Amino acid sequence: MDLSRLEPHRLDPIRARQLPVIEYEGLTPEENAELRRGGVMLNSLEQLKAWARSNSLWPLTFGLACCAIEMMGTGASHYDLDRFGIIFRASPRHADVMIVAGTVTKKMAPLLRRLYDQMAEPKWVVSMGVCATAGGPYVKSYSVLKGVDQVVPVDVYIPGCPPSPPALIYGLNLLQEKIRNEARGRKVAQA
Amino acid sequence: MFGFLKGLGVTLRQLPKKKITLQYPDVRPEWPERFRGVHRFIPELCIVCNQCARICPTSCISLSGTRDPNKKMRIDTYDINFDICILCGLCTEVCPTESVLMSDTFELATYSRDNLYLDMHWLYENELQYEQRYPERVPQPAGEAKEEDA
Repeated sequence: MDLSRLEPHRLDPIRARQLPVIEYEGLTPEENAELRRGGVMLNSLEQLKAWARSNSLWPLTFGLACCAIEMMGTGASHYDLDRFGIIFRASPRHADVMIVAGTVTKKMAPLLRRLYDQMAEPKWVVSMGVCATAGGPYVKSYSVLKGVDQVVPVDVYIPGCPPSPPALIYGLNLLQEKIRNEARGRKVAQA
Repeated sequence: MFGFLKGLGVTLRQLPKKKITLQYPDVRPEWPERFRGVHRFIPELCIVCNQCARICPTSCISLSGTRDPNKKMRIDTYDINFDICILCGLCTEVCPTESVLMSDTFELATYSRDNLYLDMHWLYENELQYEQRYPERVPQPAGEAKEEDA
């Protein structure tokens, strides 16, 4: 049995180290290129910002189906998302992260996009459950969006129907890692 | 004032109780034996009967096999698309040789949807890891068991 391809779902470290790029906010591409050459102060500032952001992810309360129940369970005291500084907010204008928990119908998709647009930068999207990732059990349905990545850019996909609370915590920890790694100038995933 | 003290009493009575929070990334949850996590797959047992692919409600399993010189079917490829797999466990229930089974692996979140398409090698590796974690749950092959008796 050929086992040379162990765990292909893990991130390839060689591919991840390619293209080290930091984009500073509010600057033109030319200024960015200038700063990338030196940038000890600004790089550490970016890292400090990423540390602060990754430890205070405020997700938007956006439950659409049964995954929302699991998301609430993760927020409650047995799994306790507050340990990671993840506190649910009721308004998109307070939120950094959108946890798309559940089936997104084609009617809901424009509203999802509007909520995403209303969120303040920087913002991330977690696709929780197979419904949000690719349609899941409704993959042959006429009315369900086949993956929220058709509407908004997704950072982390969590499979499961619904994912158990530890699986959701694992996905959110991956997102925190991604925020920190991107601030260090490592590209985390290929589109 | 009495109500205030009563309220404080409720708080104080909670303090000596054991903490219920599971410290997940440090402490792994203990799943029951029938927990439906990501599949594990034993290629030697598979007879390519295609029943798992037929019963799958989302058609996320695709497999192919060939007939070897002894007229037995051998599995060539076995892919599960975890984009749409809902982990219902019907494939494990219908499998006549129990070559596809559920494990307690749940940490499958990724940055890209491409990584959710898992092939036979990943699933067999998952089986090996599962056997390492729970040696007592591995069924003894019939031949070895007889040798132990004799």
